Amino acid sequence: MMRLVWRQIIGHPVRSLLTVGAVLVGVFLLCLLRSVVTALNAGVDAASSVRLMVQSSVSLFVSLPISYQARIAQVEGVQAVAKWQWFGGYYQDPSNFFGQFAVDPVQQFEVYPEIELPAEQKQRFLERRNSCIVGDQLFEQFKDEWQIGGTIPMIGALFPHPDGADTAWEFELAGVYHSSSGALDNRTLFFQWDYFEKTADIEECGVFVLKVAPGADVTRIMAEIDALYENGPQKVRTTTEKEFQRQFVTMLGAVPLFVSWIGGGAALAILLACVNTMLMAARQQVHDVGILKALGFTDAATFRLMLAQSLSLCCLGGASGVLLALATEGYLVGVLGTFFPGYTIEPQTVALGFGAALAMGLVAGLLPAAQSARLNCVQALRGA
Amino acid sequence: MLVPLSYNLRSLWVRKSSTLLTVLGLGATVAIVASVLALQRGFLTMFTAGGREDVAVFLRPGATGEGDSMFRRDLGLRLIKTLGEIESDARGPLASMECYLAVLAKKTDGGETNVPLRGVQPETFRLRGDEIRIVAGRSFTPGSDEVIVGRSLVNRLQNTHIDDVIVLNTTPFRVVGVFEHAGAFASEIWGDLERFMPTLGRYGPNRVIAQLRPGTDLAALSARLEDDKEVPAKVVTERAYLESQTLVFGTALLVLARVLGFIMGVGAIFAATNTMLASVSARTSEIGILLALGYRPLPIFLSFQFEAMLLGLLGGLLGCVLALPLNGIETGAMNWQTFTEFAFAFQVTPAVLAEAAGFSLVLGLLGGALPAWRAARLAPTVALRQG
Repeated sequence: MMRLVWRQIIGHPVRSLLTVGAVLVGVFLLCLLRSVVTALNAGVDAASSVRLMVQSSVSLFVSLPISYQARIAQVEGVQAVAKWQWFGGYYQDPSNFFGQFAVDPVQQFEVYPEIELPAEQKQRFLERRNSCIVGDQLFEQFKDEWQIGGTIPMIGALFPHPDGADTAWEFELAGVYHSSSGALDNRTLFFQWDYFEKTADIEECGVFVLKVAPGADVTRIMAEIDALYENGPQKVRTTTEKEFQRQFVTMLGAVPLFVSWIGGGAALAILLACVNTMLMAARQQVHDVGILKALGFTDAATFRLMLAQSLSLCCLGGASGVLLALATEGYLVGVLGTFFPGYTIEPQTVALGFGAALAMGLVAGLLPAAQSARLNCVQALRGA
Repeated sequence: MLVPLSYNLRSLWVRKSSTLLTVLGLGATVAIVASVLALQRGFLTMFTAGGREDVAVFLRPGATGEGDSMFRRDLGLRLIKTLGEIESDARGPLASMECYLAVLAKKTDGGETNVPLRGVQPETFRLRGDEIRIVAGRSFTPGSDEVIVGRSLVNRLQNTHIDDVIVLNTTPFRVVGVFEHAGAFASEIWGDLERFMPTLGRYGPNRVIAQLRPGTDLAALSARLEDDKEVPAKVVTERAYLESQTLVFGTALLVLARVLGFIMGVGAIFAATNTMLASVSARTSEIGILLALGYRPLPIFLSFQFEAMLLGLLGGLLGCVLALPLNGIETGAMNWQTFTEFAFAFQVTPAVLAEAAGFSLVLGLLGGALPAWRAARLAPTVALRQG
């Protein structure tokens, strides 16, 4: 039976290849778009339950006095508080976009145990005031220009260097980190708070990241911190890391929905093409079906024969599409990493790709299969 | 001698179901590409609408936008008072200092977004004239804790109706009016500069805007101010400023349209080739007859190529029809450069439709090439015998 299916598929090589190609393209696009959407949510899904964020309740662009740090650290259940300040600079050209933050180095490692780097690199970062660490994805992008121990010149668009807007801040690259959780991407540059504070003469920071003791009452801690500054000078909002990450996703508004629509449209267009191809294939096989029926094949057997052809073609296309998506993953991380640092093909995406291909095969095969099954042996032989 | 076009039309009609499925598939592809293009068009034209050539925007040198620009108040004032290029009327120079901050706001659907808050001086309204129209309520009274909201925000954000209260840090502001603007201001909240600055802990404006005297050489002014010892500033026209703020998101949408067009286009070409191949093979004997009648291979090639283009054209028309209802539908998206949400509408312009239809024609053309070539190469005797 399968040999007959293969004969039909191989017997029309151009048609089969084109069908497989169309399914491949559709499934690849589906995987690509879904991965983009999951990348947007990567930070939310991987958020830690023991991390809290304190930000201004007014705006992401309003900073908090650094004197808040000591006060927040006294709240019962808070184990560590790290300052984070968005630096908003760029390396060589504004289009080289990646995040840069001034952070408290010691607290940073307490709050983010998922940051992994060799002990001597970590030591160097802690010891050298003007040093920085970068994520491995980012380092990969600039590996020809950066080296550990060397200097990374950054233009401070938001915080101009005191010697002039054209003067670059110089950070010594102490090490390359890898974050083992999606809560922190691997495309960020962290540098020492003290160096930032002294150079820019700033006594405010954007966000405080806290680590709370295991088992502590998170809701109470959040309420207690918010109450501290209820009457100013800067009102704060304390959120879980999940909520904090989610606000960036909800700000994208309808974009994820829009992308899903596009994926659906692409799948539909390919499905129509497959139905069309299978109908044409069935028409061309009328004579063959007549012979099979004359040889004693039942209606059910011819039905299965047509359906199997459609399923084989679509599964072949689906598998190639998924493979293409997996094969291009590394490349696309480099291209899309700027906007979608968490781009990765999840197992569910692979399943979706196969599922879609299977569904296309079924839907596209049903009608032609039913037609072949209904064919009358004599008519089929004569009609061709 | 060319094969009559009616032959192709009849042929498409005879194979109705196959024609329909192909056209539907092409149409879906074209509709998606057209809708992304319409989104990009809407974003670009509406964000830059109202940007004036005769209004200059002064920013801190090195700033990429007003969000990260800042002037000391006294220096901003000095700029306005001393620049001879600034137009003035009986009441003084037509220039204004503005502070700007993207603040967190709750959307009516429960989500959260960033909305631009702009503190302006009375001169702003003189300079803008009737570009800013109050459509409900009244404008804010200078010196009071009142705000007016852009028309696009009213149904998108909570607390944006007249008499609602918006709390900024610890200070409540009352909404007293709704204003309309053709461009990006319609997605902003405006109030008095003198009230916003202390509320937000600001010491100076983010930017200075000024109407320039006719004939002012902006490039010379910009070059002079860039190196100015006292008030260094970067100067661009308002139009150029707004355009610079659309670069990233506008380009991203265009790239998205191109990438989608390419990937889906490849799929559509495969599908069109398949359809045309089947159609050629079903008509082998007809082609044999045509050849026997004396038609040359080239006219036969052209005939099938024409038929494929017709399929593409039909798909393109269907795609345009599918995309048309999107025209005017309001949506909001985050402008990645200002990091604020901006409300705009899909704009299915003739240019968008023309590009979509052209794209579809190309798909048909490419999809028809192989089958048409096959048809043209058939030998008459073989073709007739096979039928």
